[in-house]
Amino acid sequence: MGKQAYQGPLERVGECVWRIPKSYKRGMRVDGLIFASERLIEQIRHDQAPEQVANVAFLPGIQRASLAMPDIHWGYGFTIGGVCATDPEQGGVISPGGVGYDINCGVRLVRTNLSRGEVAPVLERLVDALYRRVPAGVGRGGAYRFDAKELRRLMAEGARYLVGRGLASETDLEHTEARGCLAGAEPDLVSERAVARGAEQCGTLGSGNHFLEIQVVDEVCDDTAARALGLTRDQVCVMIHSGSRGLGYQVCDDALRDLRGVPARHGIELPDAQLACAPIESKEGRRYLGAMAAAGNFAWCNRQLLMTQTREVFAALFGRSASDLGMSLVYDVAHNIAKNEPHTIEGRERRVWVHRKGATRAFPPGHPEIPADYKAVGQPVLIPGDMGRASWVLVGQPGSMEQTFGTTCHGAGRAMSRTAALRASAGRRIDEELRALGVVARAQSWRGLAEEQPAAYKDVDEVVDVVHRAGLSRKVARMRPIGVIKG
Amino acid sequence: MYETFDHTADVGIRARAADLASLFRDAAQGLFALIAEPVAAAPSARRVELEVRGERADLLLFDWLSELLYLSERDRSILCDFAVELIEGGLRGRATAVPMEQARDALLREVKAITYHGLRVERAGAEWIAEFIVDV
Repeated sequence: MGKQAYQGPLERVGECVWRIPKSYKRGMRVDGLIFASERLIEQIRHDQAPEQVANVAFLPGIQRASLAMPDIHWGYGFTIGGVCATDPEQGGVISPGGVGYDINCGVRLVRTNLSRGEVAPVLERLVDALYRRVPAGVGRGGAYRFDAKELRRLMAEGARYLVGRGLASETDLEHTEARGCLAGAEPDLVSERAVARGAEQCGTLGSGNHFLEIQVVDEVCDDTAARALGLTRDQVCVMIHSGSRGLGYQVCDDALRDLRGVPARHGIELPDAQLACAPIESKEGRRYLGAMAAAGNFAWCNRQLLMTQTREVFAALFGRSASDLGMSLVYDVAHNIAKNEPHTIEGRERRVWVHRKGATRAFPPGHPEIPADYKAVGQPVLIPGDMGRASWVLVGQPGSMEQTFGTTCHGAGRAMSRTAALRASAGRRIDEELRALGVVARAQSWRGLAEEQPAAYKDVDEVVDVVHRAGLSRKVARMRPIGVIKG
Repeated sequence: MYETFDHTADVGIRARAADLASLFRDAAQGLFALIAEPVAAAPSARRVELEVRGERADLLLFDWLSELLYLSERDRSILCDFAVELIEGGLRGRATAVPMEQARDALLREVKAITYHGLRVERAGAEWIAEFIVDV
């Protein structure tokens, strides 16, 4: 199997919406809908991502459509950037592939009261200090140790567990999606193997596209929302992208093994083994959901500890406490998760399981799950772009509830495969190129930087423009990277 | 022998060999070539032995590679010098474990998991071909 262009139908049904009719493949239960501009849809056709959107439409109990955001690209089973809601009352299934191996991979944004001018003279030292302190890359254990009993509590309670340890505050919880804890977590369903992989990794970044970036608010598009989120032009922030580390990967792996033969037993026909699933109410389905929630809670603790270490590095370097530096959490979002949410479908409120595989929840103003201080502007949405150009802060809009089960994009989306990015970097120094753009980068390997080079990604401005125009989320602020830590 | 092939988000590996045992060995080499540059194992390096059970060749490959990945992460070691022997109902594998601490400059990237997407093990004429995509 290599990279092949999609040859199937893509019908334009809206300014930013393209349809794969359910007649495309026998077995599709609903249409596929892709949100994209004309230019992006041409890129999207270049690989098998649209085929995967069609494949997800096979899942029993799927509601409305198999959805995809403008940052979609070819994944495994589900496309990256895919959204699928299933209704347990209609035989709906849960599919671990619709969450991914990195359960609750997500992003958090930390504000400071420092300006670009105050950070610029010490930027190099700051990046070096962060790189030394924050474990990044393969084989790096974390600074925090939890014994088996503590880990089980951490997985059951999520970020709240860290409040008791003095490693998180109530305000941190308030500004974390789901307050940093998914209900229904069952740590006893997390295997010993998963615990063995993740035990020393809480508070570590990982590798691949995970990062820690020092960013500057480059442009404010919505003054009211930016003010509510505590963001102003020229302000320095820190964006952190990581997930549930080896523990989450193993939970997904265990679940897929548990599901071998299960779809066939339930008479479910699947076009891709990675879409393996089980009815939500089945024992396999419940087992996965309990373990997934536990891994999701581990991920929130991981990002919380990454933020704690970041605060400590800033405090040491600037000789002021983190609170004196205004280092509070803007928000934390999950973008690989399945959540049980109420949505209005065909005029009736129903509870569905929304799989977001590389897609971000984007609830509109007034939604009960939004913290009080953001309620008037909508849920903050954090969109990492690439390490040379930009990332974005958006807020959820009513259109997301109407069209995408309260969901928007999660990043720029890859435009180039990792092998192509490596080929394209032959004879180049990506770190020097980034420096010329005003970005100081540190990474475990030059290959890591090469695979993640800016050109490997779509233009995040264009992706964000689509979700803004489609009414899924609204632009608040554009963030420009000045310091990057990569695994 | 093995090679990588393009996959937008992740990395694909294709291995070819004259027999199934060699195919599994080469697939393991391909997997660990993603995680680290070649490392030299000291004569005193720890040997790892494992048995993997399974009837279907593609799932046996999946389980073999997944087990290696698990051992590597659990023990924070890079595995190399693989040997595979097919046995009744599965395979017996051996590898040398080099602690990551001793191979820090060789480390490249973390592999999260082997995926089922596009997984295949097939005989093509005189050779065996395996393809799999890993999540990185």
